[in-house]
Amino acid sequence: MKCENDKEQITLWINHEMTEEQRAAFEIHIAGCAECRHELKAAQQIWQLMDAMPVPEVSRDMPVRFQAMLETYKESQEEKTNWVSGVVEKLRQLWSFQPGMQLAYSIVLIVAGLAIGFLINRQGTGYANKQQIDVLSSQVHEMKEMMMLSLLENPSASERMKGVSYTSEIKSTNKEVIDALLSTLNSDPNVNVRLVTLEALTHFAGEASVREGLVQSIAQQESPQVQSAMADVMLKLQEKRAVKSLKKLLEQKDLNNSVRTKIEQTITGLI
Amino acid sequence: MLKVKNGDLDKLGLLFERYHRALFGFLFHMTGQRELSEDMVQNVFYRVLKYRHAFRGDGEFKTWMYHIARNVMNDHGRAIKRTVKHQEVTELAETVAGDFSADALIHKKQELAILQDALSRLNEESREILILSKFQELKYHEIAQIMEITEGAVKVRVHRAINQLRNTFLQIAN
Repeated sequence: MKCENDKEQITLWINHEMTEEQRAAFEIHIAGCAECRHELKAAQQIWQLMDAMPVPEVSRDMPVRFQAMLETYKESQEEKTNWVSGVVEKLRQLWSFQPGMQLAYSIVLIVAGLAIGFLINRQGTGYANKQQIDVLSSQVHEMKEMMMLSLLENPSASERMKGVSYTSEIKSTNKEVIDALLSTLNSDPNVNVRLVTLEALTHFAGEASVREGLVQSIAQQESPQVQSAMADVMLKLQEKRAVKSLKKLLEQKDLNNSVRTKIEQTITGLI
Repeated sequence: MLKVKNGDLDKLGLLFERYHRALFGFLFHMTGQRELSEDMVQNVFYRVLKYRHAFRGDGEFKTWMYHIARNVMNDHGRAIKRTVKHQEVTELAETVAGDFSADALIHKKQELAILQDALSRLNEESREILILSKFQELKYHEIAQIMEITEGAVKVRVHRAINQLRNTFLQIAN
């Protein structure tokens, strides 16, 4: 009769892949089934025969070879990590090094640039330029003086007035200029020029020579306008030496009446 | 193995001590070539080192090792023929079966030679599964892991392989 039992169970049994219950059930079945018993026997035979199949001993140098392989691997691993860490280290150095140097360079360059710029600036405006400006301004000054002096000798009255007006721009008191102005005041034919010159000279009233020149000039004035202006200036300057010159003017018989009154007032003001 | 994975490479020495004979047996039965099998054992352990990070630790080292061994064999070419020298087998058989009587010894030698032959004639898959279950004494669930098949498939294939081997053996014997 044909056994309905699963033949796979035989190999499971041989291979000890059965649970206790399966094993017990299988063994009961085997006891009563000749076919399965036969199958099992055949399988067991071949299985046991396989046990006898020889496997040569491994050669003795296998563990040695293994150890050598392990050591080599470990070394290469270390080299690898060393190499990697070396590269990483180098990169790190580059990273930390380069910006440091660049920063230092740029700072040095900026500082150097500032310093050079500052020096050039100082030399330029602070020193050389100032000198140049001083020279130029003195030259301009001289030119103005010369121009003024030459203008005072100009035949045109308006030009001479222009020349006198330049003196307000001349700050330093130059003897030449004052002499020229005084002579203009005494001898210029135009009344207006003389008046302007008088006004210009009052700016230099701080100078003793100017005051003296003005006092002496009183007697030489013939124009009532100038005489009157002179009287005003003297009062303004509180120049007591002028009294004598003014009294001389009063002695002149053709003196303008209004001027006479003015001079008298001035004299009383001064005394 | 987890210690090896975490960098303690010297612990691999212990694993080698424990498994290299069994692994050699597996490879020898599969290829029938002693030197090639030894080289492959080295190769397997080298790969264990190299790919130790891939060891997940959820299975046993043993199954992982056989898994690698199968890959190594694949790389050598599945076409490796079992070319066991008959002489070698006979010599070895003497050492194994030393306690048999003279007649029985001759008989045993013959049987073993036939078995070798039969095993060689089996297809790769059947031979492999027989070797794994018989010589390596691996459980079905371990074989299933190594060969990446289900346990049920292992059961079926082992049964089929034994029958094939027996039939082939009987064919040669008669």
